[in-house]
Amino acid sequence: MARDQIYVGLEIGTTKICVVVSEGKADGTINILGVGETPSRGVRKGEIVDFATVTECVREALLDAEDKTNVEIGNVWVAISGSHLRSFNNRGTVMIPEERDVITEEDLESVETNAKEVSLPSQNIFLHTILQGYHVDGRRDVIDPIRMECRVLEADYHIVHGIQTRINNTLRCVESLKLGIEDVVLSSLASAQVVITQQQKDLGVLVIDIGGGTTDYLVYLDGAVRHTGVLPLGGDHITNDISIGLKLPMQRAELIKIQEGSADDPIGSQGGFITIKNDPGFLGCEIDRISLQTIIHLRVREIFELIRRDMDAGAEGALGLMGAGVVITGGSAGLRGIASVAEDVFGTSVELTKSREIGGATQIFENPRFSTAIGLTKYAMAVSANTPEPGFLEKITDGLGGIFKRSSR
Amino acid sequence: MKTNTQLIVGVGNSGTTVLDRLAAEHPGIRSLLVVNNDSESLASSLVSERLNVPEGDPGDGFRAIDPEFCKRIEGVSVVLLCAGLGGATASFLLPALATLAKASGMTVLASVGMPFAFEGRQKRDLAAAALKKLQSVCDAVSVIDNDLFSGGVPSTAPVGEAFKMADIALLASLTSLLGMLSTSGPVRITRSDIVSVLGGHAASSRFGFGSAMGSNRLHEALEAALKSPLFSVQGKTNALRDTTKAILFLSGPSDVSFAEVQLAVAEIERLTGEGCQVKVGVAAEAPLGTPLKLFVMMTSASASSPASVAPTLELQNSVEPVAAIPSKKQEQPTLKPKVVKPAVKGPTKPTQGVLELDAIFKGRFDKSEPTIVEGEDLDVPTFLRKGIKLSSPKK
Repeated sequence: MARDQIYVGLEIGTTKICVVVSEGKADGTINILGVGETPSRGVRKGEIVDFATVTECVREALLDAEDKTNVEIGNVWVAISGSHLRSFNNRGTVMIPEERDVITEEDLESVETNAKEVSLPSQNIFLHTILQGYHVDGRRDVIDPIRMECRVLEADYHIVHGIQTRINNTLRCVESLKLGIEDVVLSSLASAQVVITQQQKDLGVLVIDIGGGTTDYLVYLDGAVRHTGVLPLGGDHITNDISIGLKLPMQRAELIKIQEGSADDPIGSQGGFITIKNDPGFLGCEIDRISLQTIIHLRVREIFELIRRDMDAGAEGALGLMGAGVVITGGSAGLRGIASVAEDVFGTSVELTKSREIGGATQIFENPRFSTAIGLTKYAMAVSANTPEPGFLEKITDGLGGIFKRSSR
Repeated sequence: MKTNTQLIVGVGNSGTTVLDRLAAEHPGIRSLLVVNNDSESLASSLVSERLNVPEGDPGDGFRAIDPEFCKRIEGVSVVLLCAGLGGATASFLLPALATLAKASGMTVLASVGMPFAFEGRQKRDLAAAALKKLQSVCDAVSVIDNDLFSGGVPSTAPVGEAFKMADIALLASLTSLLGMLSTSGPVRITRSDIVSVLGGHAASSRFGFGSAMGSNRLHEALEAALKSPLFSVQGKTNALRDTTKAILFLSGPSDVSFAEVQLAVAEIERLTGEGCQVKVGVAAEAPLGTPLKLFVMMTSASASSPASVAPTLELQNSVEPVAAIPSKKQEQPTLKPKVVKPAVKGPTKPTQGVLELDAIFKGRFDKSEPTIVEGEDLDVPTFLRKGIKLSSPKK
């Protein structure tokens, strides 16, 4: 059972650093107490490139959150992203000794260890070992095999790994602020906790979180994580393309993207011109709306096509099984026309999401920009709910039904 | 029978300095020879083989070293000459030594620097005349116009800095030529490739080099190479579209990847346009952890057009070694080489360095780790990679 407890999620993103302070409720929902936010500096494509600056930004965001919530932050759950993160599915197998017959907690640990006995690149470490399902003597989809009679126990896992030094850099940044780290969580896994329902997970869904520097995606099928991926492309690339294509400064390009941008196919567009006024240091100009739309459309379409190609390779056939279609979240989810491009590429229904099962100031927190940080607190609550009490046999299934275990770093 | 050996000859003060640097950076290279009339400079040189030219009339000096030089080049198949032209010693000796080597039937390549405008008209005229002679004798000449560095050196920089940059460029050109000739790497550049790109009467080759380490090394090396002041022609940027021939040479550790080579070639082809013939060489023999070095050299139709290069080379191979005596073949109208006026520039006005817009194609991702997927750098805007034209903003 979930305990009333404070959970703090920290997302060090490419465009913003945000800290969400939530209170876990007994009914499985979370109540957001407040959000601390600061523009991010020193992060490129989801990874830290300027340690000192990022540390300072994190400090500002934490202070902001503490001010707003009146909570003294001690421990945080940290989201992680970056193109160095890789994933694959693997099956572990253990033979149960004849003299015992029934499955124990140790067998579950052994089967997980067995699944992780793969050769990772020497600089990489495991980030997550996410359980997909147990097989007991060939019987599939066993949720809790403990105390079941069995000869051969098998388990499928989705394994996420990344470069140790890059993961450690994020941790060091947080630790340098004298904060404790509860765990490190893959960004897309965190986002999925709040933007989709258990029903969508069961039906099959692709969650795409388009942030500033990265696009994180995750596929659920039959309630379990089947595939995850990170593309080091995001809203920043769209802005950069506009800046280069229309010869605008980055800040102008960002503003134009938000105010006038559309990812719709420019073919059939009415066109016209957008007037950009003079500003100190910037001579105003008129830009062609079709050019703007072309730049955005091509980049957005390319991002979706890359995800589709990766899914075809890493989760073959999954696209045809996604009954709940595609859910898009993240800062760029607000881009006009993004859903129609996704529909065209994936050939399925597309939903632009808002965070669910959240109490508090919902008007603010429904913003998909915060889905990762809010998801972190929800993830934290779910994991804490399954943390064993002394003397109590740990259950493997979690309160979200997403069947994941804590990181095995 | 000649063995496949090379001899690198540095002539004059600049040639000696460059060979000293070469000896310091590549202690393994043994076949180095410096020729100079400055006995002090020779005495302090790191190169052990030295020919001291007696001071005074250069003709007398040449006659004094002629036998010794001929003896030294016995058994050598390729001679690489290196010098800064403009001084009396190098301007006279270099063509003379090239003629001697050519007479012995060896391949003669030269890497020369043209003087800065501030060194005076007389020096530039002398250098231009020497270059003309050199180009009529050598199989290929790599020309670096030092004046193009004037845009790349801050106005407050000491004069020595400009000369240092010129020497470094000359050294890079020399080592790259040497690397191309001596490599047994997976993708080779042959002597005839070098001759086809640098042969003829090229006034100057556009030239760039860069080296970098780390995960972003190709991008950084390419960026450094493309931002070379020698890619800018008289202040005009985007002058690469008329390039007809280019050499791209990558040398470095054994982990130089297929994607890196592919990316470098794609980028050169993108900048030069479809009509350019790119010769690629890769020497991935250095130990892991050493920097990746990238060298690009381009010539345009006006500098060495295919129509002019081929007959010129044919004649060069058959020409008598003493350039002053016209060969009989040269008199035949059918084989008369097309006259290509060397586009030697006079002193140019100092110009402000212009930002090479075409090289900065990744905006804010210029310095970040490239996102390479299926051989494409996704940090480059999609519309640029797909070649889609956009309307320019109206002011």
